Amino acid sequence: MIDSDQTTSESTLIAKNNVQVSSLKPQAPSLAAATLAVFRKDLRIELRSRYALNALLLFAVSTVVAISLGLGPIAPRDNRDLKLIQAALMWVALLFAAFTGLARAFVQEEDTRTATALRLAAPPLAVYLGKLLFNLLLLLVLDAVIAALFIAMLRVGVGAPLMFAAVLAVGSCALVAATTLIAAIIARASAKGALFAVLSFPLLIPPLVVAIRGTAFALEGESWAVGAAPIQVLLAYTLALFVASLFLFKSVWEA
Amino acid sequence: MMAPFSHTATGKKAAMALRSQLAQGAKFLLGLWMAGVIVAMFVIIPQYEGLGDAGRIIIMHVPTAWVTSLAFVVSGVFSALYLFRRRVSDDASAVAAAEVGFLFCILATATGAIFAQIVWGVFWNWDPRETSILVLLLIYAAYFALRSAIDDDNRKRRLGAVYNLFAAVTMPFLLFVAPRLADSSLHPNCAFIQGSQCDGITLELSGARIGLLGDSKLELKSLERQGDLVVADVNVTRPGYQVENHRPSFDLASGKPADRPEFDGEQFMLAVEQVDLATGTARLNIEAPGSGLLGNSRTLLTFFASMIGFTALFVWLYRLRAQLLMGEEWLAQRERTYGFPS
Repeated sequence: MIDSDQTTSESTLIAKNNVQVSSLKPQAPSLAAATLAVFRKDLRIELRSRYALNALLLFAVSTVVAISLGLGPIAPRDNRDLKLIQAALMWVALLFAAFTGLARAFVQEEDTRTATALRLAAPPLAVYLGKLLFNLLLLLVLDAVIAALFIAMLRVGVGAPLMFAAVLAVGSCALVAATTLIAAIIARASAKGALFAVLSFPLLIPPLVVAIRGTAFALEGESWAVGAAPIQVLLAYTLALFVASLFLFKSVWEA
Repeated sequence: MMAPFSHTATGKKAAMALRSQLAQGAKFLLGLWMAGVIVAMFVIIPQYEGLGDAGRIIIMHVPTAWVTSLAFVVSGVFSALYLFRRRVSDDASAVAAAEVGFLFCILATATGAIFAQIVWGVFWNWDPRETSILVLLLIYAAYFALRSAIDDDNRKRRLGAVYNLFAAVTMPFLLFVAPRLADSSLHPNCAFIQGSQCDGITLELSGARIGLLGDSKLELKSLERQGDLVVADVNVTRPGYQVENHRPSFDLASGKPADRPEFDGEQFMLAVEQVDLATGTARLNIEAPGSGLLGNSRTLLTFFASMIGFTALFVWLYRLRAQLLMGEEWLAQRERTYGFPS
């Protein structure tokens, strides 16, 4: 009843729900083990096709090249708000790249008709956490690429590298916390691609604004006393949406 | 056996007749009330100084914005109830509240933009309230887009309810973030002065005494200390006006502007935002009026009457719409059971 080319970790999970299949009843895996299994499965599928990774990275590269071509090098003396503009451009590139790739984790399950098997194989919470981890990994890779491209191609000077990395990481957490549940919602609807951006954008406005401010602080090389505030807000946002998702995901997954 | 049954049936019928009569009466009353509010808006409340007739829009604009946020909360509550109880009527109420809220959201945005253009000279300024109402508009639109993209009725209801609740979770953050977006809100603001900067202008008694703020030329003549107050003597020259002399003041104790004299056209106010007596420098800025609109008791009463009227209007509209949606659902169910009537 299940695809034969599934990974071994999955088959043990599936066996858990089909106790009759084997006389030897396997122990029910813990939530952490099930989460990791879902994460590993997604990672393996992604590495086979590299669909999301290619889409994300090529989108990121084309955005940065387009911005770079459009603006040319902005001379620092010319503009007082240069750091803020650079931070805003960077987050816009990140956001739209994320819109193209982050829905993939759930949409692909519906496209290949494996969602039902996954519903049988793993508890909803493990599915959510596994996909969340996978999306976070994807976005962190994207962060690294976009940051490197911006620094190299747009001559962005980073005043406080550690804070810069922290704001990017926490901002990505906020982005993923908001979009993973939305991805699960739109996987069940038609016109998936457009809907993902439409549903996610209003929810992403608060973290986006804070992240842009925080990134601008980091680029200017402000002290941690100034830079800690945006990071705290982003963490709080991540936590709130993460907890809400834990409550709501079961309703989505079983709808 | 039949007697009590028929008795309760007639009792029920009588109660329903009474209810429908009461509903008719309430509807009539609401119509009268709203008509009264509209008449009061144009006839009873006085003109607001400096805003003229444009100030009357507050009677319509603020209640529509209030209904928008009320509708969002009502819709969220019914969505949560639907997820708990799985009753179709709860979902119908959530959709109805969102639809009415969307309508009022558009009205609030439009009336606000018109008012801003007339009084402040800009349609849109990313004022905190503007930001939050725009995000609300987007969320409503996304909610309807999601519902229209799912065919299965039950799935549509569940996913719609989940999205509604999820969006509600982000609201506190928006309310926290939005006020920090703009340096100042539209009320005392600078964006309406062509070419000006929000920071105002710093003038020195011993150095640059004359400066340009937007189109206006400001000249700082003296700074005078009177107890905790510092009074500045400023000459203002605006294009098309005579030279005006104003004496705005600054409270050293609270560190805030104290007296903001209005210009002769009564559109703008002059304020001292910072002062340094030792070097003889002062930062001057021009601000727009807008607060204190409800200072007048007739305006305040009309305003509250309008708030009550709009809230009642919202409750009536969304319940009516929910009933219609339930009727649709009933028809669809009958069709599923018995097929099309031939």
